[in-house]
Amino acid sequence: MAAYIAGDKAAFRELFQRYTPLLQRAMARDLRSTEEANDLVQQTFLHLHRSRLDFEPGRKLKPWVFTIALNLKREFFRRSKRRHETSLEDDRIAEPFEGPRGQERSDAARETARALSQLPAEHREVIELHWFAGLSFPEVAEAVGSTVAAVKVRAHRGYVALRARLGAEVPDPEDLRDGKPSAERSQ
Amino acid sequence: MDCAQIRDAFVQGVVLPNEAVQAHLALCPHCHELFEHDAELGRALAAQATAGAAFPEDIFEHIAAGVARETGPRAWLRSRPTGLRFQLLVLAVILLVVAGGLLRHRPDLAEYPLARQVLLLGGYFVLLLLTTRKELAVSARRDDHVSWFLAALALPVLAAFVPATEASRHLGPGGALNCFVYGGLFTVPLAALFWAVDRDDRPTLRSVCLSAAALGLAANLVLELHCPNGNLLHLLLGHASIGAAWLVAWAFTRRGARPSY
Repeated sequence: MAAYIAGDKAAFRELFQRYTPLLQRAMARDLRSTEEANDLVQQTFLHLHRSRLDFEPGRKLKPWVFTIALNLKREFFRRSKRRHETSLEDDRIAEPFEGPRGQERSDAARETARALSQLPAEHREVIELHWFAGLSFPEVAEAVGSTVAAVKVRAHRGYVALRARLGAEVPDPEDLRDGKPSAERSQ
Repeated sequence: MDCAQIRDAFVQGVVLPNEAVQAHLALCPHCHELFEHDAELGRALAAQATAGAAFPEDIFEHIAAGVARETGPRAWLRSRPTGLRFQLLVLAVILLVVAGGLLRHRPDLAEYPLARQVLLLGGYFVLLLLTTRKELAVSARRDDHVSWFLAALALPVLAAFVPATEASRHLGPGGALNCFVYGGLFTVPLAALFWAVDRDDRPTLRSVCLSAAALGLAANLVLELHCPNGNLLHLLLGHASIGAAWLVAWAFTRRGARPSY
């Protein structure tokens, strides 16, 4: 980030490469279409560019980027007057798994995605930031403007609810341990 | 070992040393759920974490093009550090207060106790500073902008009930429209500056509420120094209503804004 602030254009590309997959995943889980998710990712980078001089050296960049992204996502939902949806992620999980019992594995993964989407937004948000965006709990706390203790409690409540929802159709751990959609693995 | 390392181990399929995991679980009740029933929840979440859609290759070109278009005075202003943007707005408020209030001050200003004036003007100014700072800050945004706007709207309403001189109370409600126009016009340059330093292309409800609140407070600050009329109806119609009017005007004028990328 320091290099980017100093005017190094290659540094912006590096930031893009590092954060785009995380941001796209964070956006895509809630939005109807890839276009909407990509639009919000673009807005995030534009805001990052406009806010670059606010960045304090020594501060962690990832929570700051996610603070911008989450603000944009909240505003998107307010403007479009709708709550989060998870159809995009459901579609992605619906990609077939390869190998034996591939259909069962796809079903199990879909169940997990569906159970996640049914969690209260405040619980789901911290779980997704921690697990899918790779933020530590202190970073999650910074990104959502809360305390570490509070986000840990929210995550824990989310885990409990998630297990309760998965209880009826618990995915076989062996099915999910290293499973990835076949399209991704073939890349 | 911390929660993030537990998460990373699940995602990467790494088997952690049992002692290390147990030591963490002893201190962290929040991770227990992940390990129960053969760690089904941790593995399920890890499988989700590895799923991801391919990102379009041309997306970087779009973003780079958007960044390249960030030129001109507004792009320069909105990319200044928040501290500087805040100082610019405060400077603009001070200039407005001097031009619209102090240089055209009410003839009965000396008749009021100093403490009353300091409390009233200080209240407006402090709330104005806090509102402006809140509008500009890059932080996790809470949905408190509507209540913040209502508080900013309530202050001039409450101020209308602050005791005034007998003569000023008997001036009647006449001239309310003049004050409304005076306060409204004096804050137009401030509104332009708020627009110029705003980093959002499409106005957010938050920025509309907070900037309207700040503009209403600035107008009332100017009018408190300028207008000698202490009539309750005059104060409510001609002074306190300016914040609400800015909210409506701001929402309509900025509604058609389009993203610049």
